[in-house]
Amino acid sequence: MSLKRLFIGLIRIQLVCCFLFLSSVQGSMLYAQDAEEQEEESAEAESSDSDYDEAVVNAGRSIFEGECTVCHAINEKVIGPALKNVESRWDDRDLLKQFILNSQKVIQSGHEYSVKLYEQYDRTVMPSFDYNDEELESILAYIDYASNQKEQTASSGGGASASEGGGGEGGGGSTAGVPSEYLTIILVGLIIVLILILVVLLLIISVLGKFLNNQDGIESEDKEVIDQRFNIGSFVQSRAFISLVIFLFVAIVTKTGIDALYTVGIQQGYAPTQPIAFSHKLHAGEYEIECQYCHTSVEKSKSANIPSANICMNCHSEIKTDSPEIQKIYAAVENEQPIEWVRIHNLPDLAYFNHAQHVTVGGLECETCHGDIAEMEVVYQYSSLTMGWCIECHQESEVNTKDNAYYDKLVEFHKKKGGEPMKVTDIGGLECSKCHY
Amino acid sequence: MLKIKYIFLVGLFSAALIGCDAKGEDPGTEYAPQMYHSVAYEPLTQITDQSAGSWLSSREDGKGEFFNSNVNNPGGINMREPVANTVRRDAKGMLPYRVHKDSIDYAAEFIKNPLESTDEYLTEGKRLYQNFCSSCHGEKGDGQGKVGVVYKGVPKYNTGRISKVSEGHIFHTIFHGKGRMGAHGSQISQEDIWKIVFHVQELQKQ
Repeated sequence: MSLKRLFIGLIRIQLVCCFLFLSSVQGSMLYAQDAEEQEEESAEAESSDSDYDEAVVNAGRSIFEGECTVCHAINEKVIGPALKNVESRWDDRDLLKQFILNSQKVIQSGHEYSVKLYEQYDRTVMPSFDYNDEELESILAYIDYASNQKEQTASSGGGASASEGGGGEGGGGSTAGVPSEYLTIILVGLIIVLILILVVLLLIISVLGKFLNNQDGIESEDKEVIDQRFNIGSFVQSRAFISLVIFLFVAIVTKTGIDALYTVGIQQGYAPTQPIAFSHKLHAGEYEIECQYCHTSVEKSKSANIPSANICMNCHSEIKTDSPEIQKIYAAVENEQPIEWVRIHNLPDLAYFNHAQHVTVGGLECETCHGDIAEMEVVYQYSSLTMGWCIECHQESEVNTKDNAYYDKLVEFHKKKGGEPMKVTDIGGLECSKCHY
Repeated sequence: MLKIKYIFLVGLFSAALIGCDAKGEDPGTEYAPQMYHSVAYEPLTQITDQSAGSWLSSREDGKGEFFNSNVNNPGGINMREPVANTVRRDAKGMLPYRVHKDSIDYAAEFIKNPLESTDEYLTEGKRLYQNFCSSCHGEKGDGQGKVGVVYKGVPKYNTGRISKVSEGHIFHTIFHGKGRMGAHGSQISQEDIWKIVFHVQELQKQ
């Protein structure tokens, strides 16, 4: 009997080992996370400084962001020059103030540096302003403050500039908990450790078995336990096993066969490479540009149009102009050649679908059918676009009757029939000729 | 052994079918392709390859079944350009906006909103503003939209000169663009631009 206990004990030890290992791994993860948070906190504490009068800087900031940012930024050229450390470039501070108030006056007086600037910026006239001295001082104080401030944040990789927009994703993702690649490494390590423990335990069992076989005076009951062997050959040849295997095989084959039949004519998951590597994740996700900004006809037309190149140029006349992908847009504009995007959602010609009807009248969100576009680097077809898929939605969706006089009578009649909310199917949403004609 | 042969055949059949689904570059197998491809010209489905679908073509002109570009148009495009020297009126009878891009001062003084300010137009204007403007100009018109911060040069509506510009100026700016802002006349209908003007005027006051 004592031998049986020994075997059971070994199994228990195995379980305890696994548990200890798991909890230690978890503990180290939590510790790493804590350390990360603490680092962030200390970094925040360092960044505040008190060299500037906060009230003056804030007053300057509100003027600067209201009026100056139209043409100026601190670190880069916009329409006018970058204003970082602007005071150091002017030998006369009063003249700089004069220039802000009325630039043309200073230029016409023949001041060398301002004439040079005027020529350099294609004779673009800076409009005149009527600030008092206090306001001018606050603007300059803010520019000075921002000039020094940007230096600090720029080195820590703020990633706010447009040229970095695409590349700056890798750094951002790792803040939430443990990164997934570490998790896989930890899991693989765990599996290896478990296998090692198993091997060691098997070795111990065989050594113990041999040792016990050599001992004299063992009871026959215990002898049986020690000599237990698993006979694979006879098990495989048994009738039950063979019929089980055949059953599983037939079941799996039938299931895959039926599943595969359902994929014929369905393009769900289709994600073709487009002529320009446009990222919805960047535009709709990171920058939160509304779908309708580019797909302008979605509320008014049967189809949601693919934007023409001039819509791209609203931003990309200035943003990322060096990127080879953006150069393709320029080429299309210059040669008056349309960009030939690959169509992803191909509803068969036998079915009619209207975007305006669903988006404007039905009030559906784009994501309902197109999935989480804001997360798609390359767009794929999210929904199956089968008839069953259409019908399911028409049976479940309530009609958006609010503020729409067209439905008033229908709602009235429907209420007389029964208390249930009016679904799309109740107003003929499942009539064949609604979609097939 | 007959049974095993059948099972094997069924296995082969389903293995062949597995290749039918769409994945990545592959749009998958089409069932009855003639029912999928439109004979009439359709938006966004232009196929310029004259031999596309020639393996099942029943066309009399000898071209492929799926070829659906308009041979009479330049570049085979399906849409006709408007006839020269004609103008389009929209449902409300508005003529196209024809004030020249450079004449913003004229627009600021003389162009007036043809719509009457109603609650309906104000809420619609706000919604349209969120679709077309807020990514740069921000929800509150402070220029702090996610794109605006990166794009630079987006003013606040409620301070300085911008807070005093007239409705004609706002309309002209949206239609033709100004400074770094691009022209939005092709994206937004004139009526919708005027609705947006209502909302921008609200933001100017805030």
